[in-house]
Amino acid sequence: MKITIKAFAMFREVMDIQLELEVPAGGTVRTLLSDLTARYAGLDALMFAAPDTLRDFVNILKNGRNIHFIAGLDTPLDEGDLIALFPPAAGG
Amino acid sequence: MSTASPDSRFLRQIPLFGKEGQKKLKDARVLLAGAGGLGSAIALYLASAGVGFIRIADEDVVERSNLNRQILYHETDIGACKVEAAKKTIHSLNSGIEVEAVCRHIDEKSAGDIVRGMDLIIDGMDNFAARYVLNRAGLDEKIPFIHGAVNGFYGQVTTLIPGITPCLRCLVPTTPTWEKKVIIGVTCGVIGSIEANEAVKYLTGTGKLLQNRLLLWDGLLGEAESIEIASSPDCTDCGFSEREPDGRRIVS
Repeated sequence: MKITIKAFAMFREVMDIQLELEVPAGGTVRTLLSDLTARYAGLDALMFAAPDTLRDFVNILKNGRNIHFIAGLDTPLDEGDLIALFPPAAGG
Repeated sequence: MSTASPDSRFLRQIPLFGKEGQKKLKDARVLLAGAGGLGSAIALYLASAGVGFIRIADEDVVERSNLNRQILYHETDIGACKVEAAKKTIHSLNSGIEVEAVCRHIDEKSAGDIVRGMDLIIDGMDNFAARYVLNRAGLDEKIPFIHGAVNGFYGQVTTLIPGITPCLRCLVPTTPTWEKKVIIGVTCGVIGSIEANEAVKYLTGTGKLLQNRLLLWDGLLGEAESIEIASSPDCTDCGFSEREPDGRRIVS
């Protein structure tokens, strides 16, 4: 199944701004991130504080909804999903 | 020099939303939370547009390191209370509006007083702890909350309307921390201006708000993109699942 990934802010400094990926059925955000970190050097260090632990600024939206309120890294992927990697700015 | 009617300063903008729209701006009461880089751009544009009542809340004093972005202040303001200095600058731009300077920390204790009587909350804050407090207060009082934040050359804006859009907690459930605080003034100008634009649109009923959309600004690329966002039924703050069928939040 095909999904689209959009990267914002500093994620763009280590990966493509947007890409379409063919992912296997049954894929989750965790398997997607594993694929992306293998693909882009520097992404793993930017995203993860420890294995399986995202840094606190890493917000991932599945079709606009934060995976925090779905199933976290186990959030399933579906055909046509738009996954946004969004590190919110916090300053004012 | 013009000595025409007080409205002459608005001649170029009234065609955009009519005299009725201009009156709506005049009658509006907005809370500007934070008088820093974002707050500077927001305050100046709201004052110049003729928003009639601006309550500015911030507890800081002006520091030299603020001057790369906080365009409400000048070198002579260093050491002064920000909201008082801001009030002075705003009144030198438009003496016909009311500015209420609130030199208070924004927390659970002060939030009720700070948002009371406001039509709109505009985010010029520099931390998520205060943003979550006003997100909650806005939900409780059913006051729309225009969120904006900046980091380096990046920033984001969205207009959060209780019962209609996600709340801030839906979008960003936990406080994002950044080791380095970096910012260039122009990013505050871009994001603050977009927030002020949202405020003008909301208050005058003009255009299409950034509601259920998140605008992300990338100053390094020189590009903005907006993506659709959605409420989280399990959000701990807006409890979207605890709403009436028409979307209104059930307040117990």
